[in-house]
Amino acid sequence: MKRTYEEINQKIKKGDAVVMTAEEAIELVQREGVAKATKEVDVVTTGTFGAMCSSGAFINFGHSEPPIKMTKVWLNDVPAYTGIAAVDAYIGATELREDGNMEYGGAHVIEDLIARRPVRLRAISYGTDCYPRKEIDTYISLMTVNQAYMFNPRNAYQNYGVATNSSERTLFTYMGKLLPKFGNATYSSAGQLSPLLKDPHLRTIGIGTRIFLGGAQGYVAWEGTQYRTTTPERNGVPIGASRTLAVIGDLREMSTEFVRALTYHKYGTTLGVGIGVPIPILDEDLMRSAAVRDEEIFAPVLDYAVASRDRLPIHEVSYAELRSGSIEISGKRVRTSSLSSYAKARQIAETLKDWIQKGEFLLTEKVASLPEERSMRRLDMRSREEVS
Amino acid sequence: MAVRKYLLTFTPENVSEPITYRLVKEFDLMVNILRAEVDESGGRLMIVLEGSGMQIERAVRYLEASHVQVQELKEYIRKDEARCTHCGACISICPVRAFVMDGKTFKVSFLNEKCIACGMCVDACPPGAIRLRAQV
Ligand code: SF4
Ligand code: SF4
Repeated sequence: MKRTYEEINQKIKKGDAVVMTAEEAIELVQREGVAKATKEVDVVTTGTFGAMCSSGAFINFGHSEPPIKMTKVWLNDVPAYTGIAAVDAYIGATELREDGNMEYGGAHVIEDLIARRPVRLRAISYGTDCYPRKEIDTYISLMTVNQAYMFNPRNAYQNYGVATNSSERTLFTYMGKLLPKFGNATYSSAGQLSPLLKDPHLRTIGIGTRIFLGGAQGYVAWEGTQYRTTTPERNGVPIGASRTLAVIGDLREMSTEFVRALTYHKYGTTLGVGIGVPIPILDEDLMRSAAVRDEEIFAPVLDYAVASRDRLPIHEVSYAELRSGSIEISGKRVRTSSLSSYAKARQIAETLKDWIQKGEFLLTEKVASLPEERSMRRLDMRSREEVS
Repeated sequence: MAVRKYLLTFTPENVSEPITYRLVKEFDLMVNILRAEVDESGGRLMIVLEGSGMQIERAVRYLEASHVQVQELKEYIRKDEARCTHCGACISICPVRAFVMDGKTFKVSFLNEKCIACGMCVDACPPGAIRLRAQV
């Protein structure tokens, strides 16, 4: 049984496409089997909402009178990168205020913008013949700027490690607060709802794929940074961090419901981003992978007391175990916490389903595929000769 | 039977009073010490008193007469529902399981009556939804 994008989009336009969230698809496949489910379902929707550090937004402020070629820019005192055209800047989610305060960063600026709150813009310049102005101090908002779009170089990780801490002291990490002596363990994937786990080899996800991004319709722009395909698999799904996506979308259409500034105490700021990807059920293989369950998806447990890139997994656990509230590490019951919101992941999958059913969201065929083979390189100390 | 949580603040003068002993012996209360700190400025004691409403009230009057500052802790922290993303980061942090995730909705709720005001969860909440109500 095969289906094309065209057929699915025709059905969507007519309003009779059968759309299910990944959770619903799992139930259906369990009840009726893959073959029958494939016949029945046109699209499976996915969702995830979690901290995605590699996020940020491009903004074009418009020109002042007299004009300025901004060389340094601060938004609510958070530096934005401006080594681009005169009044363009990129505000990164993890950029902090220069006073060392970790409570407010680029992520908060982005949330403030989406919430339609005014943001203070300060900029300085050396002055040129065409851009004589040397400083400006004013307010902007999403209504006053020309463009404001999110461009996130790395989002929607396909699986990720579970963090725990064997040391004697509490660690404050990007995986949250880790209590001493294996006091807890944290994880950060929506598991059976997470987009890239449902089409694990990215048959249908590539450049140009239309997605749910932060409450708006966005697109996959490129492979995400640290994209890799070499992670071992079980049940057809990578067991640990693997593929990622670079995504793009209009900040103006987004909602603070799905874009939320986060602070990891003693680590820094980051952005909570909601992403949902529709998986067209073109054949049985896609139905099978879309129906992979938490019981079948595994993640390595890593000891964050080892501050090295070469942490060895001390254990392997399924998302079903993680979600049960505790896992066992060396004979000890260790309580688990999720860092990504399963409730919001579900809300995203539901919203996407709703958009498709209403005919507001059509599926796109990818323009180009993301790499089928890519390994992760490391940064080592090397001489000029070694790298040339 | 009533169960109430109090923060007692002592001055250097009354810090050595055998308060807990009296609460048990004279007022017949069940006393559970949650936290205790003593330094040069005096001391702070966080306790849970269990007994009849009358007994507790009399005990509080006695404490006040002994110049111990008594503050009832009805709510030590508050969870801001608009800010909470229901991630669950707080769940494995809280020693008394005052945060629980509903297995069906995957939403996290806060059970105030369980909280022992340890403060561990406050810096563990990424969106900053957990706020201190009383300073201890
Ligand atoms: S850590 Fe904060 S945001 Fe996450 S569930 Fe707990 S209260 Fe809500
Ligand atoms: S203050 Fe302590 S006891 Fe109270 S909810 Fe937070 S972690 Fe739990």
